[in-house]
Amino acid sequence: MAKTAADWAARPKFPATHYVDSRIYTDDAILAEEREKLFRPSWIIACHESEVPNAFDYRLCTHPAGVPLIVVRGDDSKVRTFYNICPHRGNTILYDPAGNAKRMTCIFHQWSFDTRGSCVDISRSEQGYQDRYGTEDAGLREVRTEVAHGGFVWVNLDDGAMSLREFVGDALDILEPYMQEPMEVFHFHKAVVQTNFKLWHDTNSEFYHDYLHYFNRITGMLQPGYFERKYTAFPNGHATVGSMSIQYDKYEGSKERAVGWPGLAPGGWYMVDLFPGMTYNLRTSVMRIDTSTPLGPNKVLIEFRGLGLKRDTPAERAQRVFDHNTIWGPFGRNLHEDLLGVHGQGRAMREGTDSRWVIQGREEGSTIHDEVGMRHYYAEWSRRMGRPSYDPDAKGKPARAAA
Amino acid sequence: MATLEQRQAVEELVYRTCLALDARDWSTFLDLCDPAFRYTISTYSPEIRKDMIWLDHSKDGMTTLFTNLPKHNSDHSPLTRHVTVYTVDVNDAKGEADVVSALQVFKTALDGGATELFAVGRFHDTVKLSGGSSRLLRRNVRLDTRLLGFGYHIPF
Repeated sequence: MAKTAADWAARPKFPATHYVDSRIYTDDAILAEEREKLFRPSWIIACHESEVPNAFDYRLCTHPAGVPLIVVRGDDSKVRTFYNICPHRGNTILYDPAGNAKRMTCIFHQWSFDTRGSCVDISRSEQGYQDRYGTEDAGLREVRTEVAHGGFVWVNLDDGAMSLREFVGDALDILEPYMQEPMEVFHFHKAVVQTNFKLWHDTNSEFYHDYLHYFNRITGMLQPGYFERKYTAFPNGHATVGSMSIQYDKYEGSKERAVGWPGLAPGGWYMVDLFPGMTYNLRTSVMRIDTSTPLGPNKVLIEFRGLGLKRDTPAERAQRVFDHNTIWGPFGRNLHEDLLGVHGQGRAMREGTDSRWVIQGREEGSTIHDEVGMRHYYAEWSRRMGRPSYDPDAKGKPARAAA
Repeated sequence: MATLEQRQAVEELVYRTCLALDARDWSTFLDLCDPAFRYTISTYSPEIRKDMIWLDHSKDGMTTLFTNLPKHNSDHSPLTRHVTVYTVDVNDAKGEADVVSALQVFKTALDGGATELFAVGRFHDTVKLSGGSSRLLRRNVRLDTRLLGFGYHIPF
């Protein structure tokens, strides 16, 4: 039966833990608060160590809280991160997205910095500042940085935030055995989509939408073991889903992924979703990493990385690239479908559409089509935001119970 | 140096491949391709400072890609490929021509018909010359554009 306006506005017939108010996807004020309360104190993947393999290599990125960053490998091989903001007149220091620079020099007034963040030259310093200000006063703002969990460069803007170890906890344990060998990024692309960043994370956190993907239906959902995959929730909003054996040869034009991954069963597939917007996705022969940066309540920048093993032979690497592109490249079968899916949500939920609720009510014993992954995420969201996701106006209300 | 006739034949082949793809006429496109056809989309990432391959298929692989399309959920906005053939370099000994063309791809929304520039790049084609029945032997779509929104299921 179709609904009246009152029916449409009424809360869904689920516990409050099993739906969210769709305003959390469209509200400017909520996004501003998310940048401060979710992203700023969280550990965020900035890039992979293979993107800065040599001394003085740097890589630029924008932190999801909005801060422009330089990740740079120093003369001592240590990877450090700094604001890409000159302490003099607030200008951008480096412009190219990656490169190699023994000195990072602001083009505006030629103030120069080394890879440890120290200012090493201020043009005409004595004439202008006499002894009132010098290079020792003009260092770059350093950001906490760790290289861990598969060689990824993690950063945290909050000097007082919990450690990376505490933040990740046991969430990546399921993947650690497969991340013992050095990896290397072979694919990178960005996508800007008119949707909320959480909706992309939701897509990575639920498999019920496998109905969207012909590839996943034919190689996964119709195969033994699919409905036995189970979710595990971890502290701080992270979650993972167990593996199964994907039957790649069931898709016409595809075939068994012979190149595989060290230690991983043939056709194996593990995913770990990390709060507030990162996903590790090891699918048989390729590791994919998604990182999201909100550009607005209804606009997200997603960065996609594909990784193989550093020791790959050219033939192995070519096979991994092929496997990656088949489903995950910009012309891949699945990624386009997933992005279309969240684009559609963005269209339907944008300001003024009278979208009201998003239901996360499936309970199937935490197995693959259970929506516990999303519920767990929003429990953490509510806790950090100090307002329940099912009623975001109710600031100060107790956070939702755990899913 | 290509003769006028060779250049005309090559240009017509390149343009006909675009018309066929624009029309989603897969069989006509494939008929314009040699049995040894290889199709690649590649680009360079200044972010990771690496060349990347985004799609790579034989003629069989392209055939399967087209055949599977109806089974997938795809953006149905039509594409229009605007191509200008820049250079045609003939290798008489091999009976082939290396062809470089500028490529602009426009996407037109189904609802309202707004057209946006979707991608720019170049075709690096190798054409097998055979009188009036020249065929496409290789196509490397070298993209400058790397931000493709939610992507696309049909090659350029």
